[in-house]
Amino acid sequence: MTYLFAAYTAVWVVLFAYVFSLSRRQQKFQDEVMKLQKLLESQKRS
Amino acid sequence: MKLLRVHALSTFIAMLIALYAIFIFAPTERTMGFIGEVQRIFYFHVSSNWTTFLATFCVFLCSILFLLKESREWDIRAAAAAELGVVFGTLGLISGTLWARPVWGIWWTWDARLTSFFLLWLILLAYQMLRRVVDSPAQRGRLSAVFGILAAVDTPIVYMANRWWRTQHPAPVIAGGPGSGLDPRMALTLCITLGAFTLLYVYLWRIRCELERTADVIETLQRQLQTQGMEVR
Amino acid sequence: MNFLNQVGAILWKDILTEYRTKDALTSMLIFGLLVILMFHFAFEPDSRETEKFGPGLLWMTFIFAGILGMNRAFATERENDSLQGLMLAPVDWSAIYLGKMLANLVFMLLAESVILFCFALFFNFSLMPRWGWMVTITVLGTLGFASVGTILAAVSMNTRMSDVMLPILLLPIALPVVIGAVESTAAILTDPPGESLTFWIKFLVVFNVIFITLPLLLFDFVLEE
Repeated sequence: MTYLFAAYTAVWVVLFAYVFSLSRRQQKFQDEVMKLQKLLESQKRS
Repeated sequence: MKLLRVHALSTFIAMLIALYAIFIFAPTERTMGFIGEVQRIFYFHVSSNWTTFLATFCVFLCSILFLLKESREWDIRAAAAAELGVVFGTLGLISGTLWARPVWGIWWTWDARLTSFFLLWLILLAYQMLRRVVDSPAQRGRLSAVFGILAAVDTPIVYMANRWWRTQHPAPVIAGGPGSGLDPRMALTLCITLGAFTLLYVYLWRIRCELERTADVIETLQRQLQTQGMEVR
Repeated sequence: MNFLNQVGAILWKDILTEYRTKDALTSMLIFGLLVILMFHFAFEPDSRETEKFGPGLLWMTFIFAGILGMNRAFATERENDSLQGLMLAPVDWSAIYLGKMLANLVFMLLAESVILFCFALFFNFSLMPRWGWMVTITVLGTLGFASVGTILAAVSMNTRMSDVMLPILLLPIALPVVIGAVESTAAILTDPPGESLTFWIKFLVVFNVIFITLPLLLFDFVLEE
């Protein structure tokens, strides 16, 4: 029983950690894109 | 984007159904006698491993297509699939050791399937490593595609070599000889779990590809910024 | 110049450079002898243990020595910027692969014959009665290793950490060769030879066929810039 519990916990933890890291990376990249686009805009105007 | 959301939702529901099937619907193992509840690890274990092989196969196909078409898209897909292979391979290894301990009394054994799966996992890690140490994107694509193809062809050979060497892993239960069948309810549960994992895999794959594309956008923007900066100056 | 002449020319060029510098061969040989020495201190094997671990150790030595040699194969071309010239030469790129691969094979076999001789000498390891089989296995195993190794050496040459990447990429792919070679070497040590011998030799042949064809198809993509 303990092993069953341990196995499923481990599987879920790893999966969630991965999904979390994916979403964080995505967020970071999107922020970066926004920042760069703004920079580009401001440079065009100047 | 909307399709992606539908996909996410269906993956979520499929996962819930799979969990229900595993813990409540599927009967407790009796035929092998001594295993009992622990047998329920089997569904996730098989599904993770299946997904790892699926990912490896995707790496193989995408690598070939990349070499033929030279389009960045296939490189992105191959890279994403390889990363998911590592993730699901890790799941398979963890659930496998936690199954082996109560059932075989040991965490690990150098059996054919375990060894070749472990090797596959290492190869996928090496693939990730290779991608990190090549600077030019075009070259990174070509080199990793070549390695991906070699690795994917190598995997079944490793497996057969190990198998002829020695084996302890339970023989395939599903398509094995007579009398090796699963309880129909167990088979159904396994099918559901496999389906749910495949959905999850495809979903994560799409997300991961999207991430890589965003990274590409950043790169082009940065380059634009640089050239523009020079013009302004 | 037809294809075989091209391959021969590249092979000859490599042999000639090696003959003048002796870089790869010396490093492989010294390394191999050092491993034998380490083996003695690490295990102090008696004759039965030598019989048990010998084949494995022998092939480990061959393989790590081979990696040393193979790392040089493209590194020298790179240092002297001569790979560009080779690529511009009117030869098929797969001829470059075959030539390089055969050169690696020749160097490895030379180093291996000395290592094998010393191994047999130091550990009273009698290979004499079955030297024919031993030669067959060594050539087959080394061929398989060199065929995968040459293309992966070309791959790792293009990376930032070429010396480190080669073993990381090559060892997992070459694992079947190790299994086949070790098992068949172990099979010829028993009297009469183990029945698995022919099986593993066939296995090595199949591996070689697959892993010489594939690199021939893929090598162009590795060189392309």
